[in-house]
Parts: sequence; structure tokens; C-alpha cells
Amino acid sequence: MSGQDNNEYDAKQIPTVQKVIAVLWPSFLTAGVATILFFAYFDPQLLMQISGYGNISRMAGYTIGFFLFWLLTSVTCVISCYFQRPCEKDKH
Amino acid sequence: MSSKKVAAEVVTDESYAKHEKIYPRQVHGLFATFRVLGIFILLGGYYIAPWLQWDGHQAILFDLPARKFYIFSLTFWPQDFIYLAVLLIIAALALFFFTALAGRLWCGYACPQTVWTEVFLWIERKVEGSRNQQIKLDKSPLTKFKFLRKALKHSLWILLSLWTGFTFVGYFTPILELGVKFVQLNLGPWETFWIFFYGFATYGNAGWMREQVCIYMCPYARFQSAMFDNDTLVISYDEARGEPRGSRKRNVASESVGLGDCVDCTLCVQVCPTGIDIRQGMQYQCIGCAACIDVCNQVMDKMGYRKNLVRYTTLNAMDGGKTKIFRPRIIIYFLLLLGITSALIYSMAIRIPLELDIIRDRNALYRETNEGLIENIYTIKVINMDLQPHQYILTVSGIEGMKVINKVPEIKVNSGEVLDFPISIQVDPVNLKKTTQKLKFDLISTTNPKLHVEESGRFIGPLIR
Ligand code: SF4
Ligand code: SF4
Repeated sequence: MSGQDNNEYDAKQIPTVQKVIAVLWPSFLTAGVATILFFAYFDPQLLMQISGYGNISRMAGYTIGFFLFWLLTSVTCVISCYFQRPCEKDKH
Repeated sequence: MSSKKVAAEVVTDESYAKHEKIYPRQVHGLFATFRVLGIFILLGGYYIAPWLQWDGHQAILFDLPARKFYIFSLTFWPQDFIYLAVLLIIAALALFFFTALAGRLWCGYACPQTVWTEVFLWIERKVEGSRNQQIKLDKSPLTKFKFLRKALKHSLWILLSLWTGFTFVGYFTPILELGVKFVQLNLGPWETFWIFFYGFATYGNAGWMREQVCIYMCPYARFQSAMFDNDTLVISYDEARGEPRGSRKRNVASESVGLGDCVDCTLCVQVCPTGIDIRQGMQYQCIGCAACIDVCNQVMDKMGYRKNLVRYTTLNAMDGGKTKIFRPRIIIYFLLLLGITSALIYSMAIRIPLELDIIRDRNALYRETNEGLIENIYTIKVINMDLQPHQYILTVSGIEGMKVINKVPEIKVNSGEVLDFPISIQVDPVNLKKTTQKLKFDLISTTNPKLHVEESGRFIGPLIR
């Protein structure tokens, strides 16, 4: 019973902006770091040539790389947020 | 069971709950002056710096398309990434240091979020008027007047945001070319995208999100309290002096009416950009902007009371103790900062703008030539990171009587270019003491002998028992 009250309380406490931010923002930061680290060592143009995907400009490579990282990290954040919710209680 | 349903409904209701807009009242005073000064220096620097030229190139350019960073006369390569990493560590340490010393100085005066929000607030005030006028305008029905005001405000915000985005991209691709392309309406798709992306972020964060960025998004705001101690500078209301609060006539001594010095004018709440009441004690939402200090001091002046009812102080000082500036945590942060900074400067000073990479042929460990010699093949990669072209001499040592066969007679590399070429090393098996032997590669510039690098490599021969 008190657990139920707690859930209600928690849900009330956290505004929607905060929930959206909790997913998009940390993932943005880590994606940024990942992009910098990754492209400091790998040149997108060379990577694409070696792997046979043809020619792209470096700016395009960085941008696409960044958004792929962001996609990945935000999926991780969504899953974390999902697992943070209390487990469903038994029906009785 | 039904209570679960209720909980779900509460969540949905909450999703639609509106965030209350905060209308910070304009404030004048000592700290407001500091902040405006800071804004001019920081934003002035931000908007002007990419236009500066140095030695025929943009003075500060993180040229991502060319994978080279220019900072005045220094050029950095992806190989120099370590410097960037160390620089970030220094920045983080500096933030810890200043936080422990002076609290949220960064938030109140230097954070881009604060700085751009101030500019956006300034535009808002110019267009919509003072705090009270803004509140009235927002409450009024949509008239032509209101529509025009709002449209003007957002247009100005968007223009400033796009200019900000343009400047941002100008740090990463040469801004002069970018400017020309912009004038010709000929910007590349990725450049356009990032201008709009950064512009949108500026517009959203400084125009709409504002204090919510500090409260919900900023990791620093969450962990900075861990760096606080009782000697950290904080902004605080002097409760002992201010309470009991209450209104009274001007120039009435507090004691005569049995009140404290706070006249309960709520001005400190009205100026607060995060909408909190400093009189309720220290709160994590407080960004330390000191607007409440400025405004309360004005009130105290008008009342003929002593200033500093709200002031910069420390917990120790408020408890009647003495503030200690030199405490272990400060000294440790300072020494770390000093150590890492000097190491960085030293290593940059002795940095040699030349790189040599030795890559062994991956296909075969070794080969026997017709004359019975053991041969290893290497690819030599020379990167000239200097601003001048150079010619180099390569020497290899390590094994007695070795033969170096180099088909490239002259190792000439232009500034900022990479040369790779194969060499072969042949050794008489009688001279091989071990299966794997170390080789030393020396590369030295003929024009400037200071440009000298050493690399080691391995020579692999047949198994030796
Ligand atoms: S501005 Fe000063 S006097 Fe006015 S309510 Fe705040 S603390 Fe009290
Ligand atoms: S409480 Fe004062 S110092 Fe803190 S954010 Fe509000 S106005 Fe600024």
C-alpha cells in the first residue's frame, strides 16, 4: 500500500521535461564524447573508403557518426529509465 | 487495483502540467555590472574570435574537414589528441578549484547558459517592457499589439540564434569561406544543418528553457554541492538580522517596531532568475547570480539600513567563525592544477612537429633472399606537422652489417603532409642473435636538426636455438 503511494508521489514529483531531458541530454553528452574520441583516431573519409561505402565528405561523416552515437546512447538511456520504474506488484 | 489506475492517470495529468514562466525583474548594482562586463567579454570574444587571422590562416580554427586544429601559431593533429584530453582535465580541475573556493561563480557569471539567457532577457525587456508589463502582456488576450510584440521578440531571438550558430560553425570550418558561401546562399547541407542545430539549441535554451536547464539538465548543478564546504563562498540571507520580517514605513528603525531588517518587499524573489526565495536558506536551484544581493542592497539603502542583509558569505562566517581560505582541499586542487598545467606547457614546448610511424609488413614475417639474407619489409610513414616543408634523413641501426634498401632517395614532405614509402632491411643470418631483434629508426631534418625523432621497430628472423 505504502509502495503504491510512493509511486504516485514519485510520478508527481518528476515533470515531463525532466523525463525527456533524462533521456536526451545525458545521451547527447556521451555521444559527443564518443564522437570526439572516435574521430580523433579514425578519419571518416578513410573508413568509408576502406569499407567500400564510397565517398562522403568528412563533415557528413562526423555528423552521421554523431547521430548514430546519439541514437545508441539514447536507447541506452531509455532502457535505464524504464528499468528504474518499480517492478509491477503481484495482483493480490 | 484501482489505485494503480489512479497512479497512471496522475502521470498523464502531470505530463500536461504547465511550467510556470519566471519573469526576472531587471536589477542594477555592483554584481549586475560585473555580469554585464562578463557578458561583453565572453560573448564579444565568442563572436569576434573566429574572424581573427594569424599568419595567413584563421587564428582559432578547429578545422574538422581538414582534421587539423589551429590555435594561433600552433597546429594540432589528431595525433596530438592527448593535449586536448589534458586540457579538458585541466578545465575540470579548475572548475573544482573555483567551486570549492567561491561556489557557483561559474554559474552566475560565465556559464554560456547564463550569458545567453541574459542577452535574451535583455531583448525581451526591450520588446515587451518591464517584468510587470511582460506579465500583463502574457495575461492579456491575443490582440494585434500582443501578436506584433511576440513576433518581434521571436524574430530577434531567432536572428541572434542563427548568428550564434553561424559563428559556432565558423570555429570548425573557415569562417571567411563560410561567410562568402552564406552571402551567395550556397552553404553546404552539413554546414546549414549545424548552423540550424546550434541556433535552435540557443533559441530553445536561452529563450524557453532558461532556469530549467540549470535545474534539470546541468550535471554540474547537481554535483557541485559535493565540492562545497563550510568555507565556500555562498550567497545567503542573514536570518538572524532579517527576521522577523515585515513591512514598515521608510526610515523607521527595525527595533522600534520589533521587526528584523527584512521589509518583506519580495524584490529578491522577483529578480531571481530561478524563481526561488533566498530567505528560505541555501537551495540547489540558486545559481549564485547575486541579483538578490544587488536588489536587497538597494532596498537597505532606501530604508537607511546597513547593506548586506543578503550577501556573499560562508557558512563558517555566518556561524560567527572565521573563514579559512587555505584548507587542504583547496591546496590539493591547486597543486594538481599547477602540476598538470606545467606538465602540459612543458610537453608542448618540447613537442616536435614531426611524426614517424614504422609499420611492419603484415603479410610475411620475413623472407629469404637469393643470396641467403633474411629480409623484413616496413612501411615508413612521415608526418610533417611543422608549418614549413622539410627534407629528412632516415637512418636505421641495431643489427650488425644490416643493409637498408630505400627506393625513395629524398624524403621531402610539405607542411601538413604525410609521406609513406616502403623500405626493406636485409641481414646476414649469422648476425642474428635472437629471433626478434630491436631496431632503432632515426629521422632527422636536414634543414633543422632539432626536428629529430626516434622510433623502435622489430626485426624478425627464423627461429634460433
Ligand atoms: S529584498 Fe531584502 S528586504 Fe526585500 S524581501 Fe528580499 S531580503 Fe527582504
Ligand atoms: S537566490 Fe539570488 S543568487 Fe540565487 S539565483 Fe536567485 S537571485 Fe541569483
